[in-house]
Amino acid sequence: MSVEKRVKSIIAEILGLDKEEIKRDSIFVDNLGVESLDVVEMIAAMEEEFDIEIPDEEAERNVTVGQAIDYIKEKLKKKRASKGKKD
Amino acid sequence: MFEDEKYEELFPLSMTHATFELRCGYTTLLEKILRRFPGVGVSYFLRDYLTPIFKRRVRGEAINNLNILKKDDFLLVNGRWLLSERDKLTLEGDEEVGLYGQDIAFARVRQNTIKGCLAENFTKFLNNVKDKVEAKEVEANLISYPWNLVNNNPKAIEEDFKAFEKKGVFGKFSPQAIIEGKEENVFIAETADVQPFAVLDATHGPIILDEGVKVFPFSRIEGPASVGRDTQILRANIREGTSIGPVCRVGGEVEASIIHGYSNKYHTGFLGHAYVGEWVNLGALTTNSDLKNDYSTVEVHIKGKLIDSGDTKVGCFIGDHTKTSVGCLLNTGAVIGVMSNVIASGEPSPKFIPSFCWYFRGRFSKGWGFRRMIETERVVMDRRGISLTEEEVTLFQTLYDLTREERETLIKRSRAKLRGKGE
Repeated sequence: MSVEKRVKSIIAEILGLDKEEIKRDSIFVDNLGVESLDVVEMIAAMEEEFDIEIPDEEAERNVTVGQAIDYIKEKLKKKRASKGKKD
Repeated sequence: MFEDEKYEELFPLSMTHATFELRCGYTTLLEKILRRFPGVGVSYFLRDYLTPIFKRRVRGEAINNLNILKKDDFLLVNGRWLLSERDKLTLEGDEEVGLYGQDIAFARVRQNTIKGCLAENFTKFLNNVKDKVEAKEVEANLISYPWNLVNNNPKAIEEDFKAFEKKGVFGKFSPQAIIEGKEENVFIAETADVQPFAVLDATHGPIILDEGVKVFPFSRIEGPASVGRDTQILRANIREGTSIGPVCRVGGEVEASIIHGYSNKYHTGFLGHAYVGEWVNLGALTTNSDLKNDYSTVEVHIKGKLIDSGDTKVGCFIGDHTKTSVGCLLNTGAVIGVMSNVIASGEPSPKFIPSFCWYFRGRFSKGWGFRRMIETERVVMDRRGISLTEEEVTLFQTLYDLTREERETLIKRSRAKLRGKGE
């Protein structure tokens, strides 16, 4: 499954929404009604799903779903590059 | 020593401890039994997932090793037994099984019988013994539920105190501190320190202060009570029937409760008729109810159902590593699992909060998730100079998986309710 689908799936589950309601330009707070505890849960779920760490200050910058998807893609790219260097 | 299949009824306390490691009185159930048989070799049978951490606590003993049983006659003792001085349990005697209801309290079995009963696991072996060896009805105080530990605590403290060879004051005792009642009804260890204006009221029961205990000024301790090694009592009102384990920080009011060890209830707030596990932090003004306003008996969440305790005074039962925020109100008979995080919501908590779960603003949540919970506990334990071991992390992962379903059910329900899609 693509990163985009996995991210949308997590968001949908935590917010109790259908995946189709979640668009790249959906704003977490304004469009999806995200609360502070939802943010905590989403960060934790993304960390677990993708085996990455998401510092709070970086998470805060992702205001839309699209930004979150791109952020995670970038994190995974850096992780793969770092693993490649070690190997 | 063996755990039987009723360990789940002692959750959340027995999630991280074998049933016989639970505290009742100054000592644990196990320590009371071992006291009856000094110098005797012991083998242990308990849940596999507890074995790695248990091995660290009882170095050198046989654990879950059925082959050991072939080597000798054995007295098998149910680890839920709160052994009392009046109980007639001996190594020597006829081969027999002591039954309390349907539960095996003990079995005295000869080597040849053992060999004929051995099976692929201990439970099957024990059932074979029950089928083969003559059984008799015995009286045995088998701890069935968490509130049994609390209710038996005062008597257990008194019996543990009787076992002390020396009684009296051996530690530092300020001239401005007071003992009410007889000095022979207290034990203050050599390195304990009772500071000015502290009161030890031993008129209704003994008081035990272990090595390194500090009782700060304006604290009152009412016996029967016991305070474990290196614990600090900080301007607290410790009422009768309370046992506090080692390395705790306790303030505010505590009545008829057991704090297993390494936990903090530093500040004002009431804890009554409760059992608090290890590495718990109760935030300031955390208070639990131990009596319903209609004075009816209290129901407690056990294995997915509410069980009537039959008692009107029942507090809360908190698993290891759980934290409460400032101002938390814990419901009468509340059960909170392991490594949970309860944030005050202005109302009494739910009766049940599963393990590894946040309860925040009236909803259940995964919170920061397993990894960050573990990292927090690493910091918590490090403050007391203890490292979180890999075996413990593995245990918590096992418990996280075991409790997944009950946790996710409540979280889903919370989410649905929030979005107006549920009841």
